[in-house]
Amino acid sequence: MNIENTKAQMRKGVLEYCILSILQNGEAYPSEIIDQLKKSKLIVVEGTLYPLLTRLKNAEILTYRWEESTSGPPRKYYQLTKKGEDFLKELENTWNELVKAVKITSK
Amino acid sequence: MNQTVTANIGGIVFHIEVDAFDSLTNYLNKIKSYFNNSEEREEIMRDIEGRIAEIFSSKLNERNQVIKNADVTELIEVMGKPEQYIDEDEVIREEKFSSDNTYRTAKKFFRDPDDRIIGGVAAGIANYFGIDAVWLRLFFIGALFFGFGFLLYIILWIVIPEAKTASDKLQMKGEPVNIDNIGKTFKEEAQKVSENLKNNGKQYGKKAESIIASFFDVLGVILTSVFKVLGKIIGVAFLIIGTFWLVALIGMLVGSNTIFSITSDGIFSVEAIDFFNLIFVSEDQFYWALTGVLLAIGIPIITLIYGGIKLLLKIKTHYSIGLGMFIIWIIGVSICAMVGIRVATELTNDESYTNTEVINNSINEFYISAAIETSPGKGILEDRFSVISLDKDSIFLNDIRLYIYESKTDSMELKVVKHANGRSRKEAINNAKMITYHYAINDSLIYLNNYLSTLKQNKIRGQEVKLKLYLPVGKTIFLDKSLKHIIHNVANVTDTWDHNMLGEKWVMLEDGLTCLDCDEIEGITSEQLNLLRSTKNQ
Repeated sequence: MNIENTKAQMRKGVLEYCILSILQNGEAYPSEIIDQLKKSKLIVVEGTLYPLLTRLKNAEILTYRWEESTSGPPRKYYQLTKKGEDFLKELENTWNELVKAVKITSK
Repeated sequence: MNQTVTANIGGIVFHIEVDAFDSLTNYLNKIKSYFNNSEEREEIMRDIEGRIAEIFSSKLNERNQVIKNADVTELIEVMGKPEQYIDEDEVIREEKFSSDNTYRTAKKFFRDPDDRIIGGVAAGIANYFGIDAVWLRLFFIGALFFGFGFLLYIILWIVIPEAKTASDKLQMKGEPVNIDNIGKTFKEEAQKVSENLKNNGKQYGKKAESIIASFFDVLGVILTSVFKVLGKIIGVAFLIIGTFWLVALIGMLVGSNTIFSITSDGIFSVEAIDFFNLIFVSEDQFYWALTGVLLAIGIPIITLIYGGIKLLLKIKTHYSIGLGMFIIWIIGVSICAMVGIRVATELTNDESYTNTEVINNSINEFYISAAIETSPGKGILEDRFSVISLDKDSIFLNDIRLYIYESKTDSMELKVVKHANGRSRKEAINNAKMITYHYAINDSLIYLNNYLSTLKQNKIRGQEVKLKLYLPVGKTIFLDKSLKHIIHNVANVTDTWDHNMLGEKWVMLEDGLTCLDCDEIEGITSEQLNLLRSTKNQ
């Protein structure tokens, strides 16, 4: 089994959760989200983020508004919807359970 | 000095060096093609372009106004190459066994290069239907015995594209779509239709004024799905009909070593090549003709099957396949035409060779009859107009015609005119000379054969024999009923049809052939004839 694959797989599992968590603290535009994700080394290439945001938006978990930018084209500021907040709560529970499970089993 | 172009990226105008622009366009097209079938492509591409514009804006300042190749390279590194996206998808692919995701990609037919024995056709189809490839392989092996298995496999091999990229492989197996799986937004058609319906339903409530518009939208959706179903039905029909014809064609090929013919004497069989060699100049020409006919008939059949498969499996194929088939078909038709022309040139010249037989002038009454037995050899073709039969060395043909004319002189003559075609006049005359025709004249009895013959090596070249009997005025002739196959347009003063002239005695008078002592036909009696003769002698 390829270790890189396993790592990427694990990253992917939490990527969605992390994006929603970032947006929990308030609205953000993709570059900001990317910066945070890059800091945490969750994504390697930015291209991955855009389809993901679009899909979350289409699933009505996220919504966005346009804002003019001084340093480029207008930006999409994303924020959680009511549905998104519930969704995130679910994910939080699952994550905590997983962390617990890992702790117990890896002892 | 480098040339620059201006480009509008995400609504902002940039100056970009030409080679940088090329690699950027290349990069964007690559991504775009990766999202090829996604509904969300437009939006994703806009977002990505927006991000590119942002990154480029940050590169520019008072001193640096132009985007260079290095900037694009750096950008691609940051954004990630489509290949990198694909690599990430491969991760997803391995997840499918554990994850129970309800979103599945619409499946498409691909040949599976990872699990192939020959072309991966069986594995690809097995992937599509989610069954074990072993069953399909067994089917193909079974079908091999019915003759069409091999061809079917080859056709499928050609029309079904190979799964080359990871994305193809995902579609081939209908892998689950994970939420972060870039570009995987294909949905089952049914889902799409129901969603469209749902969306349109919402519009009903929201916009009462556009009910009619919505109605047509819904109607459109329903019609689209009806046509999709119809397409499948037509596809199945094409496939069945095509396969049937293909089997028939192969059956014909396998069976065409022998030609069976049913004639009045029974059923005969002749080696096909033996028969066609009577027409074609060489054996090569026969095989050319065979190839031409096969292509001219086979290609449309294969196209039908191909069309059926395309409709059924919704495979997108390159237009070159259709074009290629068309070209091959044209080649087939051209071969047919060329062989046809070559054979036709063998027949361009029609010449004759005449033998004149002077008949004893002291006899006044003749009796003419024909052989009633059929020609020797095995008959291979028999219809109302012609009989062709063969024995070991010879061809027998029944193109014999008897004409009766008034002799301009006092001598009674039978002219045997042998006709044949050939590439040149000389060859035509030669072919005519090679005709063997038997007849016998015994005092008052004229006995004609009802067939001619020539050696097989002379081939069938329009051979016929015209018998012209020149009857002086005053002579009588009895036309036997056995002449019915060879008598031809004999002019007479009573305007009687050839076949009705048989079984009667006819006399040649100054004004033409007249029936003598007939019941049905209004001719003259012996007394009248004697009277005529005595008055003439006086």
